[in-house]
Parts: sequence; C-alpha cells; structure tokens
Amino acid sequence: MKKILIIFSVLSLLIFIRPALGLNAVQTNTESTTIVQADEETSARFIDEAIGGIKQFYQYTGFANATSGHLLMIFIGVVFIYLGIKFDYEPLLLIPIGAGVIIGNIPFVAGNQTGIYETGSVLNYLYFGVVKGIYPPLIFLGIGAMTDFSSLIANPKLMLLGAAAQIGVFATFIGALYLGFNLPEAGAIGIIGGADGPTAIFLSSKLANGVNILADGTVVKNLIGPIAIAAYSYMALVPVIQPPLMRLLISKEDRKIRMKAPRAVSQKEKMLFPIIALILTTFISPSALPLLGMLFFGNLLKESGRTERLADTARTKLIDIVTILLGVTVGASTQADIFITKDSMLIFGLGAISFVIATMGGLLFAKFMNLFLKGEDRINPLIGAAGVSAVPDSARVVHAEALKSDPHNYLLMHAMAPNVSGVIGSAIAAGIILSFLG
Amino acid sequence: MTPQILEIDQLSEGYIILITGLLIVFGSLMLLSIFFKYGVPILLYVYKIITKGRNKKIKDIAIVADEKFTGEIAAAIATAIHLYLHEKHDTENAILTIKQARKLYSPWSSKIYGTQNRL
Repeated sequence: MKKILIIFSVLSLLIFIRPALGLNAVQTNTESTTIVQADEETSARFIDEAIGGIKQFYQYTGFANATSGHLLMIFIGVVFIYLGIKFDYEPLLLIPIGAGVIIGNIPFVAGNQTGIYETGSVLNYLYFGVVKGIYPPLIFLGIGAMTDFSSLIANPKLMLLGAAAQIGVFATFIGALYLGFNLPEAGAIGIIGGADGPTAIFLSSKLANGVNILADGTVVKNLIGPIAIAAYSYMALVPVIQPPLMRLLISKEDRKIRMKAPRAVSQKEKMLFPIIALILTTFISPSALPLLGMLFFGNLLKESGRTERLADTARTKLIDIVTILLGVTVGASTQADIFITKDSMLIFGLGAISFVIATMGGLLFAKFMNLFLKGEDRINPLIGAAGVSAVPDSARVVHAEALKSDPHNYLLMHAMAPNVSGVIGSAIAAGIILSFLG
Repeated sequence: MTPQILEIDQLSEGYIILITGLLIVFGSLMLLSIFFKYGVPILLYVYKIITKGRNKKIKDIAIVADEKFTGEIAAAIATAIHLYLHEKHDTENAILTIKQARKLYSPWSSKIYGTQNRL
C-alpha cells in the first residue's frame, strides 16, 4: 500500500512539475535572447506567469462573474429551502427547486457547456424533459395511481366545483392579455390559476417555449421557468392565501354545515371511472390527452386490482424520480440573466391574482349551488376552495378551516372530490387553450 | 396603427377563448357528473343482466345507512384495531433462552503450546 502511495505521489509530482518545465522550454525557444541573462529574470517571469495563471483561474471562478442578480437568485433558492424545511410547505417540491435555483445561478463563463441553456451540457439534457413536456405526463401517471376518486364518484355534482375554480385560469389569461403579453404567452400564464404544477409546465412548454414563431414573425418568449416557479411557489403558499378568502366570503353559519357521509362506492364503479372519464374528457379536449390519458391510465392501474406492482411503481419510485429531475431542472432554469426580467415580475403578480380568483370562484359557486340544494344535500361552501387543484394541500386547508369553526366537522373526504376534479378541470382547460393557440 | 389593431384583435380573441373555454370546461365536467349520476348505474344494471341472465331476479343488497354510526365511532374502532395490531411490543415473549456466543479462536491459554513442549 505504501509503495503504491509513493509511486502515485511521485507520478503526480512529475505531472505537476511538467507544465512548468514545458512552459520554460517553450519560452526558451521563442525568446532565445533572454536565455543568457541572469537567473533572477527567469524566476521573476515564472512568478509573473504563476500570477497570470491565478488571474486567469480567477476569471473563471464564480467570484469574478457574480452579478447582483446571481446573488439575489441564490438567496431566493436558500429561502425556498428554508420555507420547505422550516414550515413544511410542500418540501418535496421546494427543496429540489431551491437546490436547483442555487445550481442554476452559480456564475460561470459561457461556452464551456456548463449552463442549463447551453446545448450539450448535462443540465440541458435533463431540462429536455421539461422543454418537450415529457415530465408532466409521467407525474400525472403517478398522481393517477395514488388518487382515490371514490368521493367524487359518490357525489358527482361536486365535479362542478372543480370546473368553477378554472375561472381563475381564464381571468388570468385575460389579465395577461391586457398587460401586453401575446396570446400564446397569456395562455401559458393563465394556467397558473389551475394551481397544478405539471399542467403549467406542460402548457408553457408547448406555448411559451422560446421556439414557436407567431403569425407576425416574432418569437414567443421562454416563460417556462417563471411560470413553473410561480405555480409551484403559490401552490406551496395555499395555506397562506386561502384561509383569509374563506373567512371573507363564507359566513360563520355556512362554515358549520355538516355534510352527510359519502355513500360506499363499489369496486366496479371505481374501475369504470378511469375508463369512462378518459374517453369522455379526451373526446371533448383531445389536446389534453398526454395529461388526462396518463392520469386515468394510472388510476386504472390502481383500481384494476391486477396491476398492483405497476401502480406501486408509478406512485412511488417513478413519480419520485421525475419529481427530482423536474424540481432541479425547473429550479436551475431560473438563471438570473434570463429570469430576472419585468415579465417574470408580472407573471408573479398575475399568479397571485389568479390563485385569489380561482379560490373565490370555487367558494362563490359552492354558495350558488347551495341555493338549489336542501337539507342534508347542502354542501359546505368551504369545499369550493378545494376546487383549485393543488392536491392535496387545498383539501387539507379546507379541512383545517372547517375544524376551526366546528371541531367535529371533518370535511377532508368531501374536499377531496372538488380537489381531484380540479385536476381534471385544469387539464381540460389546458387542452382547450392549447387547441385554440397551439 | 397596426399594433393597436393587433391588440384589439388579441383581446377580442381572448374573450372568445374565455367564454368558450369556460363553457367547455363546465360542459365536460357537467357531462361527466351526469354520466356518473345516471349512466353508470344503468351500465352496472345492464352488466348484471348480462352476467346473471334475464330470468334470475336481480336484487341489490341495499346498504342501509346506520344513523348512529358516526365518524367518531369509526375512528374509535380504527384506533383500537391499530393499537391492537401495531403496539404489541409491550407483551413480550416470556421465555428466556441463553444463546451461546461464538468466540474467535484464541490460543492464549492453550495447553498444547506450553514452554516445555516443542513443535
């Protein structure tokens, strides 16, 4: 062992010395006049060169290339990680994204295939799954394999709440148009209101990818990064955004409404649901096929009872792998020089408004539905807020909020129904926008 | 002048997308809910007729909702089962056995390697 170490260290010494010797040799050839001069000069030149080398090395380090934008974004990445760890706001998303933001904002010299936007770099290959919309359908497969639609099957009218919350999507779309975004960009921004990260990435990768060319010859902006970050960060902030709106719009008596327990759903119905829903929804909105097809396929794997292995992989290993890749690359796509623009700020503003409108749409529509329902059939309007997807966070928020006004009112199962129908609704909305603008 | 026209055009198209999009989203989810309210029971009924034959009398076992069976009772039963199944570590096996521990061979006190005998 010692011998190997000695040989290794001698070899490494030789390797380190060689460039110095070689450099000197080259110098002596080119500058033959200086060779006769004193030793002092050569040693001085050696030091000069060493300093020059260090200077050049310094030019390549992050310290030389850092701008205030980079530092700001790294700080944001740290904040994301802090929020994920300290407050437990969707840590499975915020920690990969936060780490990705740091990775993407380490300053570097362009041209060495380092950055996420340089073709040929490893990060660029991983980002490929985002740009081409590969990751979102795989995430939807996992979501399908872990979602239980039985509360929705038991009470189908709650599906309308999931549709009502999509008002947020279209309102944001119009808002983005007024702020001067063109149609495809506005469509991609609008889907933030769907509160569904994979859907937002899917749609923005199709509409606002920086590649498509509009009718008037201009190229659409690349908004995937800002849209994904806005969608995910507001999804993480659902526990902060929704409760004040609930208290504002729903009276105390309404918050106390108890809903009757959902009926038992047979296994046959559960098996029929993904097949029928797949056929119906994709016939209406074929552009949403990659998302809805995978969602219901995953659910069929779960409910068929024969493919438990596949369902298990889809809802654990597969979705974990894709979440890791998606989180890091989406985070890394926030490279400061591309991310810190006026557009990103506008998108963040619109995103906040869209969440507010979507929540209000759901709550008000639930109140509206209550006008037609009587007695036991009445629904607690709070569950309307779960119509924005953000599975399962918004359902949890509804549950917690209902417990505050009545400690024995358990709404979680009821809130899951509009919650999952919100996922279907936002995927349909994405499909519609795509078919209009794609 | 052109950008102005373009912008107005965009907005009007935006409103068209707004209205139609909302209608389609509502329509499709409404269709889905109506289908699950009425269509699926019919499908299941037809399936029963096909599999069991027309002659046999079809009768569903009605699930009678027990008014007294609330979520609290269900939670109490579930907790009891959970505690029974998962927190058994308090009742340990009372039989004690002493296992002989395997030791590495060591000749420190071996009688075959004395100072007297030579190998």
